[in-house]
Amino acid sequence: MAEAAHNIVTARAEALGARLPPLVVRAERIASTVMQGVHGRRRSGQGDAFWQFRPYLPGDAASRVDWRQSARSDRVFIRETEWEAAQTVALWSARGPGMAWRSRDTLPVKQERADELLLALAALLLRGGERVRGFGAPRAFIGRAALAPLAAFLPEQPPIPTDPRLPRHARVVLFSDFLAPLEETRVALAGLAAQGLRGHLLQILDPAEETLPFAGHIRFEDPSGGAPAPIPRTEALRGAYQAALAAHREGLAAAASAMGWSLATHRTDQPPELALLALFQRLEGG
Amino acid sequence: MLTLGPLGFAAPWLLLALPALPVLWWLLRVTPPAPKRQIFPATRILRDLRPAEATPARTPWWLLLLRLLVAGLIIFGLARPIWQPNAGTGQSGPLLLVLDDGWAAAPDWARRMAAAQGILEAAKREARPVALLATAPHQGEADQLVFLPAEEAAARLAVLRPKPWAPDRVVALTAVKALRAANSGGFESLFLTDGLEHGANEDAAPFLAALAEAGPLTLLHAPAEPRRVIAPPVLEGDRLRIKLLQALVAMPGQAAILARGGDGASLARVELALPAGAGSAEAALQLPSEIRNQVVRLELEPEAGAAGVFLLDESFRRRPVGLSAAEDTGADAPLIGPLFYLLRALDPFAELRRGTPEALLARRLSVLILADRELADPKEREALEAWVRAGGTLIRFAGPRLAAKQDSLLPVPLRAGERQLGGMLTWEKPQTLASFPDHSPFAGLVPPAEVTVERQVLAEPSPRLAERSWARLADGTPLVTAESRGAGRIVLFHVTAQAEWSNLPLSGLFVDMLRRLVALSAGVAAGEADQALAPLETLDGFGRLGAPPSGAAPLSARALDETRASPRHPPGWYGPAGAAGEAAYRRALNLSTHLPAPRLMAAPPASARMEALGGEAAERDLGPWLLAAAFALFLVELIAALGLRGLWRPRRFALPALLLLALMPWQASAQGADGSAALATRLAYIITGDATVDETSRSGLAGLADFVNRRTAAALAEPHGVTPGQDDLSFYPLLYWPILPDAPAPSAAMVAALNDFMRQGGIILMDTRDQGSGEGMSPGARAALRRVTRDLAIPPLIPVPEDHVLNRAFYLLNELPGRFAGGQVWVARDQDRANDSVSPVILGGHDWAAAWAMDRNGQHPHATIPGGARQRVLAYRFGTNLVMYALTGNYKGDQVHVPAILERLGN
Repeated sequence: MAEAAHNIVTARAEALGARLPPLVVRAERIASTVMQGVHGRRRSGQGDAFWQFRPYLPGDAASRVDWRQSARSDRVFIRETEWEAAQTVALWSARGPGMAWRSRDTLPVKQERADELLLALAALLLRGGERVRGFGAPRAFIGRAALAPLAAFLPEQPPIPTDPRLPRHARVVLFSDFLAPLEETRVALAGLAAQGLRGHLLQILDPAEETLPFAGHIRFEDPSGGAPAPIPRTEALRGAYQAALAAHREGLAAAASAMGWSLATHRTDQPPELALLALFQRLEGG
Repeated sequence: MLTLGPLGFAAPWLLLALPALPVLWWLLRVTPPAPKRQIFPATRILRDLRPAEATPARTPWWLLLLRLLVAGLIIFGLARPIWQPNAGTGQSGPLLLVLDDGWAAAPDWARRMAAAQGILEAAKREARPVALLATAPHQGEADQLVFLPAEEAAARLAVLRPKPWAPDRVVALTAVKALRAANSGGFESLFLTDGLEHGANEDAAPFLAALAEAGPLTLLHAPAEPRRVIAPPVLEGDRLRIKLLQALVAMPGQAAILARGGDGASLARVELALPAGAGSAEAALQLPSEIRNQVVRLELEPEAGAAGVFLLDESFRRRPVGLSAAEDTGADAPLIGPLFYLLRALDPFAELRRGTPEALLARRLSVLILADRELADPKEREALEAWVRAGGTLIRFAGPRLAAKQDSLLPVPLRAGERQLGGMLTWEKPQTLASFPDHSPFAGLVPPAEVTVERQVLAEPSPRLAERSWARLADGTPLVTAESRGAGRIVLFHVTAQAEWSNLPLSGLFVDMLRRLVALSAGVAAGEADQALAPLETLDGFGRLGAPPSGAAPLSARALDETRASPRHPPGWYGPAGAAGEAAYRRALNLSTHLPAPRLMAAPPASARMEALGGEAAERDLGPWLLAAAFALFLVELIAALGLRGLWRPRRFALPALLLLALMPWQASAQGADGSAALATRLAYIITGDATVDETSRSGLAGLADFVNRRTAAALAEPHGVTPGQDDLSFYPLLYWPILPDAPAPSAAMVAALNDFMRQGGIILMDTRDQGSGEGMSPGARAALRRVTRDLAIPPLIPVPEDHVLNRAFYLLNELPGRFAGGQVWVARDQDRANDSVSPVILGGHDWAAAWAMDRNGQHPHATIPGGARQRVLAYRFGTNLVMYALTGNYKGDQVHVPAILERLGN
């Protein structure tokens, strides 16, 4: 049953990702953490493709001398290959009762939308030859066939995005409603930033959470177990609620940009392609 | 009792609760509705926004009004409101309610009971004591007539049923007199009368006078209702003459009499017209005796209770006929036995018994036939003589033995020996029969010319010979003579009962003669006269048979005819105890046998008030209706309240509710359509969902039906559109199925229905509408055909062979064009004997419906391609052949073999 659900989500995510070109994340930093990948870095390094011959310098290992080239002239040459590298992208989607909610039967549950977007992004990345990591996963996922194991791994993600084993300079994308208290989110982000990670937040909200379309005497109950909020006339509170939500989001954006991160918002009644396109551009560009 | 205009309240003190409504208003206003619960992940944000405003939500005014309305309706409903309460008589003294509950009250018994209940209801409200007097005698001791509370009288009234006998006004009169003696103050009387005089004397007048003397008298009666009685029918040969009696009414009337068999099946119906002022009407029921023998019950239509039912017992049924020959062994030997022809002739309409006369007479017998049997034993002769005098019919056939030795049981003295005609040594020729004289029971029968008599016994000439002769030969010698003795008669055939002396027994005339003789015989001769007959089944007042009431007593067979229907002897079936069953001997006791012709009662005393029954509007208790309305409003209120609390999800409940609502009338109409579909032969088309195509199919089949109706003996009704799997296909011989390019694969139910249809002999004409000259008109139809037919059980197909029945079922055709021509038409390859070798599928693409279609003006809306009137005619001819093929199967296919058969015969 669970496996069938994975397959469905995976298939939908792949279909979603198929509409965009393979996502190639620009590797911006030459670092030891960067693993060998498929795209050339336009400089010499580890790789298969020939890059240049350069004169032998003292200190080069004798085994690296290209003798055939050196025999054509008096000088000794060393053959250099182009450095091919891949970027690691760590993905996380929030779990919890608050995520498993929708206001109407016609809408997807937030959780479902988050997983769908996560897998679509992962599919694009894997197709581009990048390495995808899950928070708390022992190893990175490589190759297109890794999408199914990734989908199966999703339920095992930690409730809070922390993973000390993540490689430095990896990119991070977090999918959540970020409705938790602002301070909690800020602490989690600071921890990630301290690891040298940079990334992107996608806030996924149900339209009802944006607009508060209810009216009348309603007792609101927090699915994650907080105290209920009885509201006598909900319609009177609508404006105030929307303002409070906007303030929360601003705080979130401020916390993100303070650490060099960015924030985007997605509503479940919008097509997921929009969010995916935004993520795509975001990762490709910066 | 509180009365406000036409409205009365039986429990008005409950209305005092009405002032409590404003209190309820106040209570309902202050109680807010419970909050709706809503799970919301962003509750934390909401929680931080604790509003200052915390007033309870107010109940909407309309909901409040609804609740008050419910409460008000309940209060009003419990106060027992009555619409147009009967005013009663306005008096307070005791009331005597007299009811006629004899047979004449049965037809409008419900109205009588309603009127009586209304009266008792009014008396209950006025707290008047009531005495209830039913005029028909009932089982057991008559109760002392006393005044009771109206409730008790109502309980007694509820158990009253009309009785299957007549009221006795003399007994009623004594009861009234006793009541009068006990109540010196007098009492008011209401008489629900049937308006008839029931005794032989004028009994009603003194009864009415006694009632009028005791106090005010009101007569309630239904003057327009005729009281009808089926008089005992008379058996006249083959006919049953039925007489209907009625009390004089000013209006002409209509009635019918139904003859029913033992199982209740209606076997015949006679209409009777009763002109204005007529007291009776007659009709004859002419039925073949085989059918007439099955009739056990005559019923009046419209139902008229016990007097409208007449039970026919054995005296109206098959006659027991005894047969006896001189030697019993070989008596029924084929063609030569003396009883062979008699058995053959009598068997269909009489119950035959065989044995010696002595053994036969031990049981009841209406006819005894002796075939050339001498009666030597004087004791036997005496017994026979007594039986004949009691009503038996003795039929004797001559023969060598009778010619040799005569006895006293002969209608005419005979000459010794027999006369031979046309023998070897005589000049005379065999004689034919003369036509039957008018006094003979055979009058009207035509003797065939080929019936001849070669030998016979001759009667001594005597002055009365001519009147005793029922049949003669052409030369005037008697052939059949008869003589009445007592209630019975003796008949002699002067020839043998087998074809030895004449060929009369070989002719149909013989059968007719015997039939008339048996019909002439009067029922069952009395036997076992003293046997006690117990009631087996008796009629109730409505004329329904049921178990006899406990007070019903047995009576002797002899007394049955003289017995009047009474509580001790209710009308019905009587028979020997323990011999119940259809075949058992039983006799009928009928109410009308001793009923005088119904006549109207004498006019009541001048002081009496006359009222028509049911003239007054019945009072109506509104209480239950108000309570029901309150309940309905309460449901509305409940839904509204749930809606306000958010617990009512209209989409969750409304959809099933709407479906239920939509389904119920739809199912009803579907059943209606099914019923009408079975009434006529009609073509049908499968609804594709494309309105244009469906309309073409409909008008095409309508045009074809019109053509077929004009040209052939088939009568086709308007075509139907059907959806396989939803509609019952079994009424349609042919389904037209246009295959659309975008046709979806049929559902499982549809496939099952179509496979069933084909298996049971139905034909499906599938039309892809893209063949021949129409190539390319409907791209994709072939793919659709493949998709649509994937699951259908379609047999292997071949192009229509030239000698296929489809080419010659009505017209001789070489091609099968529709709107298009030139394409290939396919039929089943294998001949399946199970369905008369009819192909379950005819597959083609000529768009036939378009060729057959006709618009309202009789024009053809679709041009034929390549065109021409000839193609249209051929299309219709193909349609005709198709319909014939569907209706008659391979009947015409056999004609294909005619040349071969003729050739074979020629050789």
